[in-house]
Amino acid sequence: MIRRKKTCWTAIMMVCVLLISGCSIWPGQDDSANNKKVALTLWYWNRSIDDKLIAKAREQFPNIELTAQKIGGDFKAKLKTTLAAKSGEPDIVALNDWIMELFPSEDRFYNLYDLGAGDVEDQYLEWKWKQGVTPSGQMIGFPMDTGPTALFYRADLFKEAGLPSEPAEVSRQLNSWEAYAAAGEQIKEKLGGKVFLTDNIGSVYNQVLSQGAERYFRPDGSFIGMDSPLVRTSWDTAIDFKQKGLLANADGWTPGWNAAMNNGEIASFVGAVWMKQVLQEAAPDTSGKWRVARAPGGDGNNGGSFLSILKSSEHPQEAFELVRWLQSPENQLEQYQTLNLFPSAPGVFDSPAMKEEEPFFGGQATGSVFAESAQHVPDAFFGERYPSVHNIITRRLNDVAKQNADAQQVWTDTVHRVERELQR
Amino acid sequence: MAVTEPHLTPEPGAVRPDLDRKKSLLSQIWEHRALYAAISPFYILFAVFGLFPIGFSLYLAFHKWDGIGVMTYNGLNNFKYMLTDAEFWQAVGNTFMIWIYSTIPMLFFALIVAFLLHAPFVKFRTLFRVGYFLPNVTSIVAVAIIFGALFANNYGFLNYLLQSVGLPVVEWLNAPWGIKVAISSMVVWRWTGYNAVIYLAGLQSIPQTLYEAAKIDGASGIQSFFRITIPMLRPVILFTVITSTIGGMQLFTEPQILVGNDGGAGAAGMTIVLYLYRESFINNYFGYGAAVGWGMFLIIALFSIVNWKLVQGKSS
Repeated sequence: MIRRKKTCWTAIMMVCVLLISGCSIWPGQDDSANNKKVALTLWYWNRSIDDKLIAKAREQFPNIELTAQKIGGDFKAKLKTTLAAKSGEPDIVALNDWIMELFPSEDRFYNLYDLGAGDVEDQYLEWKWKQGVTPSGQMIGFPMDTGPTALFYRADLFKEAGLPSEPAEVSRQLNSWEAYAAAGEQIKEKLGGKVFLTDNIGSVYNQVLSQGAERYFRPDGSFIGMDSPLVRTSWDTAIDFKQKGLLANADGWTPGWNAAMNNGEIASFVGAVWMKQVLQEAAPDTSGKWRVARAPGGDGNNGGSFLSILKSSEHPQEAFELVRWLQSPENQLEQYQTLNLFPSAPGVFDSPAMKEEEPFFGGQATGSVFAESAQHVPDAFFGERYPSVHNIITRRLNDVAKQNADAQQVWTDTVHRVERELQR
Repeated sequence: MAVTEPHLTPEPGAVRPDLDRKKSLLSQIWEHRALYAAISPFYILFAVFGLFPIGFSLYLAFHKWDGIGVMTYNGLNNFKYMLTDAEFWQAVGNTFMIWIYSTIPMLFFALIVAFLLHAPFVKFRTLFRVGYFLPNVTSIVAVAIIFGALFANNYGFLNYLLQSVGLPVVEWLNAPWGIKVAISSMVVWRWTGYNAVIYLAGLQSIPQTLYEAAKIDGASGIQSFFRITIPMLRPVILFTVITSTIGGMQLFTEPQILVGNDGGAGAAGMTIVLYLYRESFINNYFGYGAAVGWGMFLIIALFSIVNWKLVQGKSS
C-alpha cells in the first residue's frame, strides 16, 4: 500500500517537474501537412512596416498564412539570440543598418539573388542595394527605407544672423563644411553667442564621414588606416567645429537635445530624413521655422533598413514573393505617406506624394530635397567591424568636446586604440 | 552509564535506512525517490539556469565567439587582452570610486534611519518602514530617468536650484566626478531604506537588559551606543557591507540608463558590468565578455574577503 502510494507520488512529482521545466513530452504535431496554406513568420519592429500593409498582404497572398510579429525591446539582441539558439527563427526578418554585422553569418540567410532578386535590382537605388550584398556577393538584405541626409536649419535664425534663409540659396552658399562653419561663426557673433550652429561633435564627424565613399575598411576586409583622407577630414572638421565654439554639446535622444531644439539654442544640424519626425516631436514650439536644404559638403545616408529571409525557412520562394511585394516601389511610396519611411526606389520620387508641402517646415516640400540627396549618396562599403571602430572614434571625440581633452593627444590615443581593437 | 536508552535501540526487524551501511547510496536514493523528486525542482532549475551558465561562461572565456558563428579556441588571449586593456582598468577604478561614493553615505544614513525608527517616540513605525523600503522596489529604469532629469547639464533640476541661488552651473554629466556622484546618489537613494530595515532588525534583537544594566552602571546614551549598540550590530553591519560590496561591484542599470552603453563623457560612468555588457552584446565579443565576468568574480571575491577582515577584525 505504502509502496503504491510512493510510486503514485513519484509519478505526480515527475510530471510537475516536466511541466515546470517546460519540457514537452509529446512532439508538436505538424499542422502544415494537412493545411495547404504556407505558414510564414515575419519579425519587424514598430513603425518599420505599416500594419495596414501587412493586412493587405494577407489579401494579396491568400495562400500564405502570415504571422507578423512586432518585436519590442532590443531587436538586434533578440534576433542574435535566436540565431545563436538555432531554433524558433522567423522566415522573414527586418534588419536595420547593422546588417553588416551579420555578414560573417551570411550562410544563415538565403541569397536573395537565387530567389530572383536580380529581376528588380534596377528599380532600387544602387548604393542602397549594395549595402545588402555581402563581400562574397550574396544578397542577404532586400532594400526597405533609406535615410538620405540634408541640412535642417532655422530660417528665422539664419535670417537674423544675416545669412540666406531660402533653401535654394542656403544649398548654394553653404555648400562646404568650411562655408557652414563660417556661417556658424556669423550666427555666434550676430546673435550674441546664445545660439549654437549645431548639436554635437559626434554628429559633425558622422555626417562628414557619411558623405564619402571609403570608410574604414575595403571590401576584402583590410583596414584602410586611420590616415585615410576621409577619416582625417571628418576628424579635423569635427575638431574645428569644437574649437570655433559651434557646438551646443547636446547629445541626440536626450531631453537636453529636445529642449535645446525647442528653445532655439541650436540653429541647424545635418540629419537623415527620419529626423523630420524626431524634430517635430522634440520641438513643437518651433513649427514653421525650420527648412531643409542640401547638406554642406555633399549628400550622405544614415540608417535605413532591410528584409532578409533566414536559411531555416521552409518556404523561401513564397517568402521572397512576399518581401518583393511588401517593398515594391508603390508600397514603399504608400509607407512614405503613412510612416514617413523614405523609399529606396527612385521611380516614385516624382510622384505627387513626395512633393507635398509641410507646415512644420514653413510649407516647404522637403521630399524633393531628400529625393535629390538620395540619388547622390556615394556608394560606400562598411564591413562588419565598422560599428566598433566608429564607436571608438566618436567616443574619443566626445572627450575633446566635453572635457576639453587635447585633440592631438586624443588622436594618438584613438589610433592606438583602434589598432588594438583590430588585433582582437 | 547503566541507564539504557531503549528508544535508540533498533527494534528487531525494523531497518533504519540512514544507519544501514550495507545499502549503496543509489539504492538509498531510489528508496526515497518520492522525497528526492519533491526537492528536485530546485536542483533542476539551478542546474539549468545556474550551474550550466557558470560552466559555459568559463568555457567561453577561452574562446572567441561573435554570438552566432563558430567558436574558436583562443587560449588565454581574452584574459591577456583584459589585463592590458586600459578601459577595463578604468572600469575597475570607476566601480570602486562609485562604490566608495555610495556605500559610505548609504550605510551611515541607514544606521541613522534605523536608529530613529527604533526610537520609542516614533509613531506609525510600519508606515515609515514601508516608506523607507519603497525606493528599493521602484523600477530602476524609472529612477534613472528621474535622476537623469535632476542632474541634466542643461535644464536639470539641480542646476536650476544652483542658478536660482546665484551659483554657477555644474555640468554634472560631463564631469568625471559628476557622473559618479549622480550614479552614487541613485544607489544611495535606492538602498538606504533596505539597509535601514536590516539594521532595525539587528537593533531589535539587542536585549533591552543590556541597556538597563549599563544605565544602572551610570553609562551615558552615547556610551551605550558605542559600547553596546555598535558591537552588538557588528554581524549585521558585516552583512550589509558584504552585500553592498557585491551589489556595488555589479552596478549596471543605473549607469547604463543614465549615461548609456559607453559610460558617458570620458567613460567616467563605465562600470565593470557595463563594460562586460558592451563588449559582449554591443561589440559581440562574447568570449571576451565571459573572461571579464570571471575577472570580476575574482575582484569581488578578493574585495569581499578584505572587507570581511576589516569589519570583523576590529571586534576580535
